Amino acid sequence: MRWQRLLFVGLAAILCAAAAGRAAAGERFYYLGYEIIQVIDGDTDAIVADIPITGASREAAFSADRKFLYVASNRHLVHQVDLARNRVVATTDVSNDGWDRVMFGFVLDPDGRTAYGGFMSRRTAAGEVVIGTPVVAQFELETGKLLRSVEVPWGVAHLVSVKGGTMLYAFGQDLYKIDTTGRDLKITGTLPMFERKMNMLPFWDYAFDNGGLASMNYYTPEFMGLMLVDQQTGEISEIPLKGDPAMAYSVVLSPDRTRAYAVMDELTVIDLVGKTYLESMPIAEGTCYAVNVSGDGRKVYAAGGGSTLTVYDAGTLKVLKVLQMASDGMDLRRINF
Amino acid sequence: MKKKIIAALNEKARAIERLAKGEEKTAAALGGPPAMPQGCTTIFDTGWETNPRPTYPIGNCQASARDFHGCAGDCWWPAQVPDGLTNHSDFDVACPNIARDWRNLKYE
Repeated sequence: MRWQRLLFVGLAAILCAAAAGRAAAGERFYYLGYEIIQVIDGDTDAIVADIPITGASREAAFSADRKFLYVASNRHLVHQVDLARNRVVATTDVSNDGWDRVMFGFVLDPDGRTAYGGFMSRRTAAGEVVIGTPVVAQFELETGKLLRSVEVPWGVAHLVSVKGGTMLYAFGQDLYKIDTTGRDLKITGTLPMFERKMNMLPFWDYAFDNGGLASMNYYTPEFMGLMLVDQQTGEISEIPLKGDPAMAYSVVLSPDRTRAYAVMDELTVIDLVGKTYLESMPIAEGTCYAVNVSGDGRKVYAAGGGSTLTVYDAGTLKVLKVLQMASDGMDLRRINF
Repeated sequence: MKKKIIAALNEKARAIERLAKGEEKTAAALGGPPAMPQGCTTIFDTGWETNPRPTYPIGNCQASARDFHGCAGDCWWPAQVPDGLTNHSDFDVACPNIARDWRNLKYE
C-alpha cells in the first residue's frame, strides 16, 4: 500500500502546486479606492480582502492570463496586483527620466511586458517650465521607461486596445486610431467627434468586463448615446438613445447585451434593442462613478464616487445590500476565475 | 449686428471687460496648448456636473462630497479642492473617505 500512499501524496502536491498562483474560483469584484483596493466576492457580496496601494486609483487592466490586475494611480504610478495573493507585487513610475508625467488612458500590450498610456509631461530647465508635447507612448511595465511614442492632439484621456493590440483608439476631442504594428506608432485615422458636438468622459469602458466590447456614453445637445467598440474587430457602433438624456458617468452592458446600466446620481436601465430608457431611479447613497453587473446578469453594482457599493436586483432594481467601503472610489471591475 | 446679451453693471465688471494697455485677449478654449495649469485634463466635458435634468435631483453630484476625490485627484477644480496632480498629490492618505475624514483636510 506504500506506493499508493506515495501516489496520493504526489498527486496532492501536484494539485497544490497547480492551485498556487491562481485565485480561488468564482467571481470577484475589485473596488478601486484611495490607498486601497478592496475585493468583493461575487457570490456573497462580502468584502474578502483589502489590498493596500499607494495613491488614488484610476485606470485598471487585467492581464490576459488573469493572474494580475494592473492599477494606475496618481496618474503616474502603475501597480501590479497579484490576484492570488491579493497584494501589490511591483510598482512602476512613468515619471522617471527628468520628466514629470501624468497619464490619462492605460492599456496593456499583449506581450505582457509593456503597456500604453496617454501622457502629458513637464519639467523645468534653467528655471523655466518646459511643457512636452502630448503623446501616446508604449512603456516597459518593469521600469516605466518610454520605448516609443506618437504625438497626439491635446485632450487624449482614454485608450482602448483593439485587434489584438495592433491598434489603439485614443479618445480626446476626436477619436484617433493608432497603428502599433510598425517600428513607430502612427495615427492612421480620425473619427470626428467634436465637430459632431459629441461630448464624452470616457474614463470607464468595461471592455474586459463586457467580454471584449468597450461601452461609453456620450452626449450631444439633443441626446445621450452609447459608443461601443468591439475589441476584436475594431468596429465602432454609435447608439443614439430616444428620450430625455440620462446623466451618467459610466455604462456597462448586461451579459446578453440586450440592456445597459448607467450610473451617476441615478441607476438607469437602457434597452439596447429599442434604443431607449426603461427605468431610472435615484441612488439612495448618492452619486456613483462606477457600475458593473454580475456574470449571470442577475445583480447590478453601483459604486465609487463616495465610499459605498450598492447591490441591486437587476430585474426589480430592489436594493439587496449596501457595503460601506474603506475609502471613496473610482471604479469597480469584475473578473471570473 | 450681434446682440449683446450680457452687460457690465459696475466698475469692476467694466474693468474686466477693458483690456490693460498692451494686453491682448488670451483665453483660448479648446485650441492650441491649454491655457490652464499643465496637468489639468483638457477633455471637452464642460457642464458635465451641471446636470441639467428637469427632475430631482437638480444640480450637481449629490452629495458633493462623493465627487470630491474625483475633482481633486485629476485637478478638475484646483481652486476649490486640493490639486491632486501637483501640490497635494498625497492628500488622500489622510482623507481616503471624505465624508468620514474631511476634518483631516489640511492644505493651502
